[in-house]
Amino acid sequence: MLLRLDDLRRHFGGVHAVDGVSLEVEKGSIHGLIGPNGAGKTTLVNVVTGYVRTQGGTAWLENDKLTGRPPHRIAALGVARTFQNIRLFGDLTALENVMIGMHTRLHDDTLAQLATLPIFRRDERSVVNDAHKLMETVGLDPSEAGRRPAGQLPYGDQRRLEIARALALRPRLLILDEPAAGMNPSEKQGIRELIERLNADGLTILLIDHDMRLVMGVCQRVSVLNFGRKIADGVPQEVSTDTVVIDAYLGSGAEKEAARAPGTTELRDLERARPALRRAAEPEEAILDVQDVWVSYGAINAVRGVSLRVAEGEVVALIGANGAGKSTILNALSGLVPIASGTAIFDGLDLINAKPSSIVRRGLVQVPEGREILGRQTVLENLELATWTRRDRAAAAKEIEAMMGRFPILGQRRGLRANTLSGGERQLLAIARGLLAKPRLLLLDEPSLGLAPQMVDEVFAAIDEIHRGGTTILLVEQNALRALEIADRAYVLETGQIQLTGSGQDLLHNPAVRMAYLGG
Amino acid sequence: MDFILQLVTDPVAFYQTHTLLIAEIGINSILASSMFVVLYSGQLSLAAPGFMAIGAYTSVLMGNYWNTPFALNLLVGILLAGVVGVVVGLPVLRLRGVFLAIATIGFIEALSLGVILNVPITGEGLGLKNPDADPLGGINIVLASLAVIVFLLWRLTQGRLGHAWDAIRQDELAALSQGIPVARYKMIAFVLSAMLAGYAGGLESHLNFFVDPTEYGVARTVQVLTFAVLGGSGNVLGPVVGALFLTTLPEIVRVPNFDYRDVIAGAILILVIIFRPQGIVGRGGLAIIRPRWWPKSRSSASAPG
Repeated sequence: MLLRLDDLRRHFGGVHAVDGVSLEVEKGSIHGLIGPNGAGKTTLVNVVTGYVRTQGGTAWLENDKLTGRPPHRIAALGVARTFQNIRLFGDLTALENVMIGMHTRLHDDTLAQLATLPIFRRDERSVVNDAHKLMETVGLDPSEAGRRPAGQLPYGDQRRLEIARALALRPRLLILDEPAAGMNPSEKQGIRELIERLNADGLTILLIDHDMRLVMGVCQRVSVLNFGRKIADGVPQEVSTDTVVIDAYLGSGAEKEAARAPGTTELRDLERARPALRRAAEPEEAILDVQDVWVSYGAINAVRGVSLRVAEGEVVALIGANGAGKSTILNALSGLVPIASGTAIFDGLDLINAKPSSIVRRGLVQVPEGREILGRQTVLENLELATWTRRDRAAAAKEIEAMMGRFPILGQRRGLRANTLSGGERQLLAIARGLLAKPRLLLLDEPSLGLAPQMVDEVFAAIDEIHRGGTTILLVEQNALRALEIADRAYVLETGQIQLTGSGQDLLHNPAVRMAYLGG
Repeated sequence: MDFILQLVTDPVAFYQTHTLLIAEIGINSILASSMFVVLYSGQLSLAAPGFMAIGAYTSVLMGNYWNTPFALNLLVGILLAGVVGVVVGLPVLRLRGVFLAIATIGFIEALSLGVILNVPITGEGLGLKNPDADPLGGINIVLASLAVIVFLLWRLTQGRLGHAWDAIRQDELAALSQGIPVARYKMIAFVLSAMLAGYAGGLESHLNFFVDPTEYGVARTVQVLTFAVLGGSGNVLGPVVGALFLTTLPEIVRVPNFDYRDVIAGAILILVIIFRPQGIVGRGGLAIIRPRWWPKSRSSASAPG
């Protein structure tokens, strides 16, 4: 065993981010670590690499104890990592980035530098040579890309460069935290080949990624985390058909589903199911009409030609795995990120050229994923802010009271600071605030994210009630089965494109939905 | 304008009439290089005037009481500044960004209010007489050592330690992941910066017959920070150029019977910061950067893209 974790624990406040995880990574293997958003994967990596102090348990790299050491010592022991949100030294050239990775291997040259001694030169030349080789290993051209500031490289090259920098440590274990995030299929294939090539040279790799096709395809063993605990561990085939894992990914309700169409569905069946889907009839009269919309962040195309329609009074769900582009679509509709091409019309308003403020005034209101409530203000003050532009204060106050009646828990907490609320209560507050803007179309971004199961029930009950009150809703959810239960229609998104569409009930029983989440 | 004219036409007379100004530029440049070291390693430390005071008072007091030679006084002043740097750095370097800045200002205030203004030996706010001062001899030391300091700091930034500082400034977490002992390297930079400031203080005291306690306050900190921001802190020459520019600017815009030269100097400062946000000596040569909100010129507006 190269890496051995024994009952690692870490909580933040009341949240058990890592709750007694034990796991072993065999020397020379590629080990996958997966789990839904907020499962504690990155926290686990941060505990192992020393960025976050452990509150219990131990981690061993062969005979070296990792826990209790500072991060730079753990790195020097041979644990290299990349970061989920790339952390390169953006102003330095790509080559310099790799050379900094060799820091622990270089002699201290300070005195030679000060005296301008030539001894240093020889050392430098070999360092540059090594750095060139490492860049070539990951598929970057050292003479071209090497001279450019790392921050200006294309996105995919930045990911590769981060791997080259990690390799410069000559690590015993390489931890890759979502190396393929935001990549298109061909770039993902390239990363997959790189991982396999590094492993063939004898490097042990711990791979964290949301792309199940990548993880299941490349790893010899996979461990699954959910709510900070390891819920499964085994070879990819076992894990991807494990009902507990499917449940964790698709949300509660999956057990029923699994009983009806057992999780042992073969991939071939899934493939067959895909073309058999009929396209659900899209409405003729749509309040929101989106045609062939593209959105990109720099070099990444997060949304690639998405078309969707929402009719007045509908609940439409947008589901798909993490990173599929769901939230980006909502942000683009609200005018928070620019739409590169396509058309998006809401109630006669061209969303592409409209300012966020005029979009809200027309009645398209988003409840953001982060909830973004004002933590230091009370519940009441948060709601009052939502009616801030109204002239008629008395009517606004009445509406706030009505909202408190609708969500009694907010009424009880009216005088408390918002940051003392639980996650679910905050979500209700954010929804209530959105409703006070009198939306004609309410965009809900991951309303159940990170909530305990009973809170999820409560939030979905509230959404259902709002819908019955006549509000049109476009809902983005990871918890696919819950979303499909209340949705009239749904779109399944995969890497920025709509793969399937149909009525909520149709998709609920469609094995292809599971494939969009768990890959194949 | 006479100022520049004289510099070009008659440098010798210029040197003789502006000796004090040149000495001030030299001291400010050393201070700016002290600021450079902390900024280059990603620390917004504003403690320089405090360490300067330690260097100045130590050196003058030793001269006054023990009649020790200036070189020794200066050395002890530098070392004491370094020791205090370690003591202050241990708790304070856990802070980042603006919190570090506030903590270091606290250090300056504690030093000036708690020690300099309270301890009888320092003159309790009335200042200290320094009969051993040697303004004309001192200026040579200032200019010679400035050249050496700039050269050594430039060499330092080219080596392993300098690259590590570069990495730490850009991303501490990523630097840790490459095995760089961030805390230790930040401490090295902090103490080196303290010693440079102590050196500047000791030298400055040697140029004046009087040590003025009000010289080492927050106003000085702001001035030194401006040198670095204006000159650019990515290269050791940046802060030095900033010090040169800001110290001479009031002289350049000096016009007889015109009392608004500070206003003009301030306006020039604002313009430089708008159009050269990376500092005078920064990446991209001497190109002028157009701020986003600035209207495009006709020629560039009609260009495609």
